[in-house]
Amino acid sequence: MTGVQSVHAALGDFLTSPTVHTALIVGGFVAVVTGVVGVFTVMRGQSFAGHALADLGAVGGSGAFLVGISQLWGFVGAGILAALLMELIGIRRIQGRDVATGIVFGFGLGLTALFLYWDTTIGDSSNAAVSVLFGSLFVIDPGVIPTVVVLSVLALVIVVAIYRWLLIESLDRDLAIARGVPVRLAGILFLVALALAVELSALTIGAILSTALLIGPAATALLLTRRFGVAVLIAAGLAVGTTWIGCLVSYESYYWSSRHDNWPVSFCIVALVFVTYLAVRAGSALRRRSMSAAALRDGVPTAETAV
Amino acid sequence: MSIKRRAVALGLVAVAVAVALSGCTDSANAGSGKIVVVGAENEYSDVAAQIGGKYVDASAIMSNPNTDPHTFEASASVAKELSTAQLVVQNGVGYDDFMAKLEKASPNKDRKVVVAQDVLGLPDDTKNPHLWYDPKTMPAVAEKIAADLGAIQPSHKAYFQSRLAAFNDSMKTWTDALSTFKQSYADTPVAVTEPVADYMLEAAGIDVKTPWSLQAAIMNDTDPSPQDSAAQDALFTGKKIKVFLYNQQVTDSITSHFLKLSHDNDIPVVGVYETMPTGYTYQKWMQAELDALQSAITSGTSTEKL
Repeated sequence: MTGVQSVHAALGDFLTSPTVHTALIVGGFVAVVTGVVGVFTVMRGQSFAGHALADLGAVGGSGAFLVGISQLWGFVGAGILAALLMELIGIRRIQGRDVATGIVFGFGLGLTALFLYWDTTIGDSSNAAVSVLFGSLFVIDPGVIPTVVVLSVLALVIVVAIYRWLLIESLDRDLAIARGVPVRLAGILFLVALALAVELSALTIGAILSTALLIGPAATALLLTRRFGVAVLIAAGLAVGTTWIGCLVSYESYYWSSRHDNWPVSFCIVALVFVTYLAVRAGSALRRRSMSAAALRDGVPTAETAV
Repeated sequence: MSIKRRAVALGLVAVAVAVALSGCTDSANAGSGKIVVVGAENEYSDVAAQIGGKYVDASAIMSNPNTDPHTFEASASVAKELSTAQLVVQNGVGYDDFMAKLEKASPNKDRKVVVAQDVLGLPDDTKNPHLWYDPKTMPAVAEKIAADLGAIQPSHKAYFQSRLAAFNDSMKTWTDALSTFKQSYADTPVAVTEPVADYMLEAAGIDVKTPWSLQAAIMNDTDPSPQDSAAQDALFTGKKIKVFLYNQQVTDSITSHFLKLSHDNDIPVVGVYETMPTGYTYQKWMQAELDALQSAITSGTSTEKL
């Protein structure tokens, strides 16, 4: 009885907190964009580039602390610059892709270490490291909401505008070129959209963890369906769901110990993303096994039994 | 990452110590005849200088009031300073862990080390490391310093003891002021960012309304919980506090948010320091912070910087 009451009281508390409102709004928009862009990223095999862009954004995030501007602009600025640099070095060629990404990525992380060191020794932003690397959805200034919304919409518009090009190119690059698709332009635009998506999610769940939100829901959605449009919708839905439930779990964890320290909201979100992926993966493995068992019984060869 | 950085720092330290030990140790103590004293924080070196007077050459490792002492990393020059020291004074309670590492890296059995935590007999899990704000701390530390200085230079023992007596006398201005303050303003509600001055506030009978978990989160550079932030916000917007004490040396978006709230709600602000600001002695610094608190309560005056 008292348990039910306290759960109710806590939920009411959750929904009325202005901090939570900001977290849910910013987190929600960012999740939709990351989920949608994530599906393209997984299909194009650019997960590593996505991760690198998030970490490169951290250079800007930590630099922003140093000069005292909003972390958001630091992330976005550095992310887009890095995307263009990676394109310049040659991210298009499969052979050069990982090397180009890795080189820029390593240097970026080194710079981040330097900036974070200056943040705490010269500047006085002592919790810069936690905030830049692991995010702080619960300490976001409500003033950034409009900017986050505009940048999220911009990323979505870019993806929608070039999605046919991307789709054809993902299927067959030569065919796309033959059909007159400007693959280079499409690649650059996609990298910009990817940079926007990961930098926005780096702001909310941190540079190190934003890859989880980019890849996790998209990979889960692609396990659930082969249809592209449906996968995009499922990925966006899963991303929003895990982000919001992650906020709730982190908020509630305050009441779990007498020390009153929350589990970091970023951890709660990425843990949910991971658990969801594992559950769906296990589910699809079971389904496949029963399907192949049925196929064996009926004497019909399937893709699985053939392999 | 921090552990790795410290490992690198220690590597540098080892090299520096080797250089220092081979070269300049002999000249340091023989030349002027002054005892070389190093304080981890400048408030400790100040007290050591007051006790040692003309027979002591005291310096401090952390003395910049513009940086966060919690994120301090010892450099090779610090190691060099330490290798020549005959008496080291440090806080303990995890506040200046790097000192113990550096001392281990340059072992010297003649060097005496005064640790405030040990002098006071405090356990390692003491929650608030800002011991120098406790009126009991410095008299005890000063007594130990006087004894150790006397052991290093037995011929000046009486001199050190008389300086100790003078120090204890001058401490009375602050401790008397604290008890007078307590009679008039006990239970005054205040908000803080970190537990920096909490020991003094406790001695003054002040009622700190900020949740401990929020103070700990800001002190330890982690993100505060939304519940605690909301509770702290309500202290300002509901005008439930008379003063906001805010740590000058550790500011970020959360602390500036509270600073803005206190300006918006006409709540006077008192800036507190973790290391002694320039132009002060330890006693005058403590007195100045108490005076600032008192004028905030009585006349609503803010003293954001000393």
